[in-house]
Amino acid sequence: MGPARPRVDPRLAAWLATLIALMAAGGGAWLYQQWNGLRVTNMRNTFMWGNYILFFMFFVGLSAGGLIVASSGRLFGATRFKPIVRVAVLEATVAITLAGTFIVPDLGRPERLLHIFLFANLTSPMVWDVTIVLLYLGLSATYVWLYTRADLAGRGSPLALGTGTSERALRRDDRLKGALAWVALPAAILLHSITAWIFGLQIGRTFWYTAVMAPMFIASALVSGLALVILLALAVRWAGRLRFDDGLVPYLGGLLAVFIASEAFLLFAELLTAAYPGAPAEGQAVTRLLAGPYLVPFLGETAFGLLLPFALLASARLRRYPAVVALAAGIAVVGIFVHRLNLLLNALSVPTIALPPGLSIGVGQAGSVGLPGAAFATSYWYLPSPVEWLVVGGVLALGAFLFTVAAWYLPLQEPDHH
Amino acid sequence: MADVSPVEALPPASRAYGELEPPTAAPRFGMAVDTERCLGCWTCAVICKSENDVPLGMWWNRVLTDGEALDTPRQAADGSLALSFVPLSCQHCDNAPCTKVCPVGATYHGEGGLVLMDQERCIGCRYCMIACPYGVRVFNWGRAERPAVGETGMVAARPVGTMEKCTMCLHRLHDAQVPSCVWSCPAGARIFGDLADPSSRVSTLVRERNGQRLLEERGTEPKVYYLEPRRRRSL
Repeated sequence: MGPARPRVDPRLAAWLATLIALMAAGGGAWLYQQWNGLRVTNMRNTFMWGNYILFFMFFVGLSAGGLIVASSGRLFGATRFKPIVRVAVLEATVAITLAGTFIVPDLGRPERLLHIFLFANLTSPMVWDVTIVLLYLGLSATYVWLYTRADLAGRGSPLALGTGTSERALRRDDRLKGALAWVALPAAILLHSITAWIFGLQIGRTFWYTAVMAPMFIASALVSGLALVILLALAVRWAGRLRFDDGLVPYLGGLLAVFIASEAFLLFAELLTAAYPGAPAEGQAVTRLLAGPYLVPFLGETAFGLLLPFALLASARLRRYPAVVALAAGIAVVGIFVHRLNLLLNALSVPTIALPPGLSIGVGQAGSVGLPGAAFATSYWYLPSPVEWLVVGGVLALGAFLFTVAAWYLPLQEPDHH
Repeated sequence: MADVSPVEALPPASRAYGELEPPTAAPRFGMAVDTERCLGCWTCAVICKSENDVPLGMWWNRVLTDGEALDTPRQAADGSLALSFVPLSCQHCDNAPCTKVCPVGATYHGEGGLVLMDQERCIGCRYCMIACPYGVRVFNWGRAERPAVGETGMVAARPVGTMEKCTMCLHRLHDAQVPSCVWSCPAGARIFGDLADPSSRVSTLVRERNGQRLLEERGTEPKVYYLEPRRRRSL
């Protein structure tokens, strides 16, 4: 127990207790789901991937923030990132942990998870994605440890794992950080690309079957990842665990504006390409976005999620204010979430062969064809069930818990001298 | 699921119905569906449920209506009505998107080129459902619910949380019997056999009646062919 360790204040204790309660509720809901089968979710044969996969995609994207900040600082000499680099790599570690965790409740047989390695089918993007998620988790955690271990050793923490604080040790750490950046950046690009290819390689789902999927996943990951790093860095500064001057905030805000513009450009290029020929298969999906039932979420994604934060951040005068940058970053995170939601909704809500009576829902239902509660459906409006929300809430609480404890315990201030 | 159901333990002769044309040494099992003959009665769909013990809410085989709604004709601009049916179950694609994406190889090309499931290996991720363009795979969302207590089918029960699908009644093929949807069809609209044998009835019909496959443009190479009506079906 080092001298730098802060005391637990009552507000922190109450926050952690709330998170533990949410985790317990989520764990209970998951056990309930395990006991009764996935029918306690609102996923059905007509809409087979729901909230869990949505949050998986979202958190894979969020995990981008850390490694962009850490590795571009190294590879491209973006030294201004330095004060927030530890918060950023911590954010990446927690986000990718949550992404991996969200896969588990989605499985019908989670106890067979190891089959992915025992019987790995190498043509499946999912095998590659699980591998890169684990690799990325390892890299992020290594980053966190490498950046904090000298300070941990300084305060005599066992987490330093016996490394010292000598000049030689520091120089070696610095070389390792540089080497890690060369691995981390390609790993980050692979992570978002492979996750995109889970969706983008499926010829059965025309709305997803586009080469722009991987670039768009990278762009949306950059937006949500950097936005979350900005929010967390400001929060940690507000909690008194980190110091950096206000000059950094407009710099990050400007960078976020560039990322938002790239995302908007790719989205526009995709929709134009899909809509222009007026061909039914892809055209219908675009029509549903622009004039159909998904207009509201689509406007949520574009007008609210992209244009508004871009407008706020593009103004050099406005982005001087940390509150404005924080607001824009918050909106951008929500906007990317809605973007991921639209990807699922639009691809899954109508089957490829949508002739009546449609797909069998998958569970026994009272009523008959055409009546509420019918056993068949040609389209399905999915809303997550309470069980799905409790599980998601539990995993989110786990993330908040891990981040809070780590931010409270680990030295987050990057010293100026090395 | 090593144990077999009581019915499955019966000698083959007790459940023989619908003999299979003798296949070649390396068969490619496939089916032709004669839409001229199909009357949309759902017999094939219902017998599939009882043959394979498919629980409530799940259908390995359905009969879709090519019309306005279930059993409802489509009206053309000139006022004429048209109605036809698309019996739909697994197309047993040669280039199956589902087998490609399965992370654990639980769905695979088995004997006779059929797309089969290993329910003991399946992790229940439903990626194959995402990949399948035909919407014919069904998931065990909960513990199986059956109208009557106990197993009714000719096969062993399948576990919760895994994927299941049409097997072309593999257990019947082993007894040299055609799938149950084939022999039960009152109109004789389904023809099953070996596509590798150019002289088999199914190969001949596909050739002579210009059999079409669903979503041909996706390149999935299904082994189920649809024979178009030879007369105009205008009402």
